[in-house]
Amino acid sequence: MRISITARLALLAVLLSLVTSLALAGLIWQQTHDDAIEVLRRDTAQQTDAFAAVYRSGGIPALAQAIADAQADDDSLVAVLIDRNGARRLGVGPDRLAFAPSAETFRVATLGTAGEWAGQEAGVTIRPLGRDWLVSGRLLDDWERTQRNIERALLLAVLLSLVLGIGGGLVLARYVTRRLDRIAGAVDAVAAGDLARRVGTEAGGSDAFDRLSLRIDGMLDRIDRLMAELRIVTDSIAHDLRSPIARLRARAEAAATASHPQQREVALAGLIAETDLVMRMLAVLLEISRSEAVTRDMLVPLDPAALIEEIADLYAPVAEEAGLRFVVALPSEPGAQVRLHRELLSQALANLIDNALRHAAAGGEIALALERSADALRFSVADRGTGIPAADRAQALSRFGRLDRARSLPGAGLGLALVESVARLHGGRLELGDNAPGLVATIVVPF
Amino acid sequence: MTRKILLVEDDAASSAYVAKGLQEAGFAVESCGDGRDGLFLASEGIFDLVIADRMLPGLDGLSMLGALRAANIRAPVLILSALGTVDDRVKGLHAGADDYLTKPFSFAELLARVEALLRRADGAGAEPQVTRLTVGDLEIDLLARSVARQGRAIPIGGREFNLLEFLARHAGQVVTRTMMLEKIWNYHFDPGSNVVDVHIGRLRRKLEEGFDTPILHTVRGAGYRLSLDG
Repeated sequence: MRISITARLALLAVLLSLVTSLALAGLIWQQTHDDAIEVLRRDTAQQTDAFAAVYRSGGIPALAQAIADAQADDDSLVAVLIDRNGARRLGVGPDRLAFAPSAETFRVATLGTAGEWAGQEAGVTIRPLGRDWLVSGRLLDDWERTQRNIERALLLAVLLSLVLGIGGGLVLARYVTRRLDRIAGAVDAVAAGDLARRVGTEAGGSDAFDRLSLRIDGMLDRIDRLMAELRIVTDSIAHDLRSPIARLRARAEAAATASHPQQREVALAGLIAETDLVMRMLAVLLEISRSEAVTRDMLVPLDPAALIEEIADLYAPVAEEAGLRFVVALPSEPGAQVRLHRELLSQALANLIDNALRHAAAGGEIALALERSADALRFSVADRGTGIPAADRAQALSRFGRLDRARSLPGAGLGLALVESVARLHGGRLELGDNAPGLVATIVVPF
Repeated sequence: MTRKILLVEDDAASSAYVAKGLQEAGFAVESCGDGRDGLFLASEGIFDLVIADRMLPGLDGLSMLGALRAANIRAPVLILSALGTVDDRVKGLHAGADDYLTKPFSFAELLARVEALLRRADGAGAEPQVTRLTVGDLEIDLLARSVARQGRAIPIGGREFNLLEFLARHAGQVVTRTMMLEKIWNYHFDPGSNVVDVHIGRLRRKLEEGFDTPILHTVRGAGYRLSLDG
């Protein structure tokens, strides 16, 4: 049988409070308990044996005499002969026994129902004598009474804690259930399509449930953002692929209808170039979506400076050909290796350098730099072009987010989005800043 | 001797396209459409090269490759795949493929890689330690890392030397931009601009300035070729 988590929680609470109280009661009992009651039991048994022996040898008069003798020495003595109906025949004791007599080795009880016998407990042994019952023993003294009281209180405490445990368990279970239901409700709503639904916090974000809620909300935010991006991507793919594909079609038509072989050659070459552009857009798109799925265990320890040097080696001649100065700045001291994805990070840097090449003002410079701070690597590419106004930077990061000013320049418009997703893969971020003038794009990789 | 190529590709259109192109380039091509048949045919050991799609019915390309290698068939294998991300390529190469080409590809790219693979397979074992490469009047000393043309020393160093060495090892063959990016710089992504062309341009100036005959040729739509005859 499966027990619901609520029931299990309640049960656990009950069990815990029971164990706690039993342990406590046990400890107290062990500390306070001594053998007083045990001694009383033994004395009582001996005394009863003695009276019974007297009765057997001398009958009722001898017993009455023995009890009277004994009472003279001990005013706490109880020794009474009770008839079948519970009424006193002789001896020291209540006129009527508070309970029906039965053969018992030892019991502690209030013997009488009225008078002084009702207020005091006594430890007695009850034994049949002929047709009557001999109830013989002693009133409890102060210490023995205290013992009895402590034991009774301990029992009461255990019972009370059981009740409280059940109550507490129910309250706890209800509370946990309520908090969990709130989270589950929000998750269900999102699963059902209400992507804007969030769990929210209840205790001001301070307790564990709220921390869990905040995490889940963070995850939902990311899902929401990804979904929004996906929508934008599908819209943008449709939109941005439309024009190259339209051009492709136009070129194909031109090639098909070209009468002159040379015209056809030109049209076909253009066709291939357009196809390459579309292919590249798709490849980068694929790379972006895959880089978001890459797990961090695909990162391997690398020397970041070597990575920078390699990419600089590839691009320095390109910048120089374009009439730009290409400056590389590395930390003066070699640092430890850092877990990086060489290909994706190189591609991201290549994209940034490519952007810089495209936007750098003629005769300017492109600066590629690696900085190492206490907890992060900063890969930056800076140019001296027109830069991106602060207001436009968010749009520049979104997929296909080509700024209108850049629409006329070639490029798939995916560059920065890829860079950002690569930065995210490394647990970092892409920062766009002002190089005054120009743009400085920095991939921050914490380690 | 006509080289035999086994083409394992389930997409009929692209299989026909590749087979036709390879036949026109002078290869004997046998094709089949599923991995099990491919493995069966390749096990005969009569092929000089195997071109296999990564996703095949029956047995996928990488498993087929593993089975071939286990059966001690050493023919070079080129994997074709629509899975084009960097990690896919690296995985393919780690699985023992000799080369990896992403769909869609240009036929020129495929042909260049096929020829490079065949040349490498021939070279393996034949001349284990080459210390000099000669292409026409160009001499490359691999030990001293020095280059001379018509006896005149040309200062070429670093990455440029590696580039020249790679071209010279494939002298007379077309070498594509992506092949150079993969082999010289070890990058498996498309930088998207003319980076390789710039490096080639610099190398070409050094090799050809002051000499009458061109030696580093551009092959339109494909790549570059190092040889004296145009």
